[in-house]
Amino acid sequence: MVVTLERITEVLHTVTPDIISKTPRRVYVSIPRTELTKTVSIIASELGAQHLSTITALDTGNVFEIMYHFLIDGIVVTVRTRTPRDDPTIDSIITIFPGAVLYEREIHDILGIVPTGHPDLRRLVLPEDWVGGYPLRKDWKPAEGEE
Amino acid sequence: MARVKLPIGPQHPALKEPENFTITLEGERVVDVDIRIGYTHRGIEKLMESRTYTQNLYLVERICGICSYAHVVNFTQNVEAVLGVQIPKRAEYIRTLVLELERLHSHFLWLGVAGHEIGFDTLFMYTWQDREVVQDLLELISGNRVNYAMNSIGGVRRDLSDDQRKKVLEGMDYLEKRAAYYKEVAINEKTILARAENVGILKPKIALKYSAVGPTVRASGLTMDIRRDDPYASYAEIPFDVITTDTCDVLGRIVVRVLEVFESIKIIRYLMEHLPVGEVTMKVPRKIPVGESISHTEAPRGEDIHYLRANGTERPERYKVRTPTMANLPAIAEMLKGSYLADVPIVIAAIDPCMGCMDRVLLLKEDSEKPGDLISWERLRAYGIKWYAQRGWEA
Repeated sequence: MVVTLERITEVLHTVTPDIISKTPRRVYVSIPRTELTKTVSIIASELGAQHLSTITALDTGNVFEIMYHFLIDGIVVTVRTRTPRDDPTIDSIITIFPGAVLYEREIHDILGIVPTGHPDLRRLVLPEDWVGGYPLRKDWKPAEGEE
Repeated sequence: MARVKLPIGPQHPALKEPENFTITLEGERVVDVDIRIGYTHRGIEKLMESRTYTQNLYLVERICGICSYAHVVNFTQNVEAVLGVQIPKRAEYIRTLVLELERLHSHFLWLGVAGHEIGFDTLFMYTWQDREVVQDLLELISGNRVNYAMNSIGGVRRDLSDDQRKKVLEGMDYLEKRAAYYKEVAINEKTILARAENVGILKPKIALKYSAVGPTVRASGLTMDIRRDDPYASYAEIPFDVITTDTCDVLGRIVVRVLEVFESIKIIRYLMEHLPVGEVTMKVPRKIPVGESISHTEAPRGEDIHYLRANGTERPERYKVRTPTMANLPAIAEMLKGSYLADVPIVIAAIDPCMGCMDRVLLLKEDSEKPGDLISWERLRAYGIKWYAQRGWEA
């Protein structure tokens, strides 16, 4: 059975009223970080989502915003959550979506967000002996002379 | 049996791009795989935050040297979505044409590489010769063999003449004949069957579990294709089939790609016969407003997804790229487990990995070096010896 936009909105309304869909195949849902595992589980069980496209994280100042993009029957469902800069942790979702394993490592590597429960947080794209901080943070500056 | 750890890469004759696969072996069998990426990380996402949208249009094309256009289309679609503009139909058709030509050259290229990995270099020579036909067409249309610079925000930069259209169709006639030949080869050639059948098994359940993409999952019987699932450019109005096989092995991945060549030819013919008249570009507001957008395309290797956050200035707040190779990496580890060591190169090659695309940053300098100095060969060598020594491998 094809999952429709109406069905997605209906199911996600049980978690939050904060659902935005400006175009027919894009849905944005905002939740507090404590609700992440619950929401992602519902997306997997109720909506049958099987494909996690990727995780995007960005630095907005005092908080980091993290977005999980799921693809459900051609509709991109984005679950948006936030984590404070002074405690940048977020529950890992790899037990529900094992495909998140590298994406969680990536946000840890470049932004310093810690996915709690992730068994392997080695560096992903940066060199293993990298000590230059988290480059995707807005206050990060390249070492002098570099551009 | 004692286990042996074998590091393959980052420099390795079988792989043309730098990546490290640490393979744990029991005899000839692979029991575990650890993948280390990042050797060609160039920091493009960070760089994009300090470049204007116009500069980024050209930067994003340089993420990859093969599926460069999939990235450009994603970028322009994202910016156009934030602007809320709908580009002219003719421009959409021309974008779709270039996207499919890109798939053709990428699939021909891959078929050659796959042949090369199993020691079948004749196939490599044949397909790469035929690929030149596609490259010539791309040059004819865009002026470039790679990095076509076709898109502008609001359309495409070059129109298609009737003469070019005729040449594209002639090219398709030739490529169709060649593809028919490769189809015969892929299904009947003993060398291919011996090396590809029942090798690198990826069951649909595992493919789904690790969110794999592209021809890799279609060869496991799953019908995921962004062109059909979430149509962009002009795919919604073009008839084509999503090719799948259920053999779940390297052979299936060869067959899917060869059959996709026919679909691409079909799509290109449709585009050339139904090309709408009209403008190929439109004036768009110079100021990109506050907003966000997600765009994904079915690149030759699978879903390529981009995210844009615009903050109302002339530079993006954040631009995120996830390429298909990254999505397929966890699946590779699964395919390799249980394989023979000798099959490792072809199994890796079967996802059509594109490492430069995946890595995106660069740092080849040490803290103590003067700005602009590259690390010397002696120090790089010493670093390499130390790196391996720390892992218990003597140089």
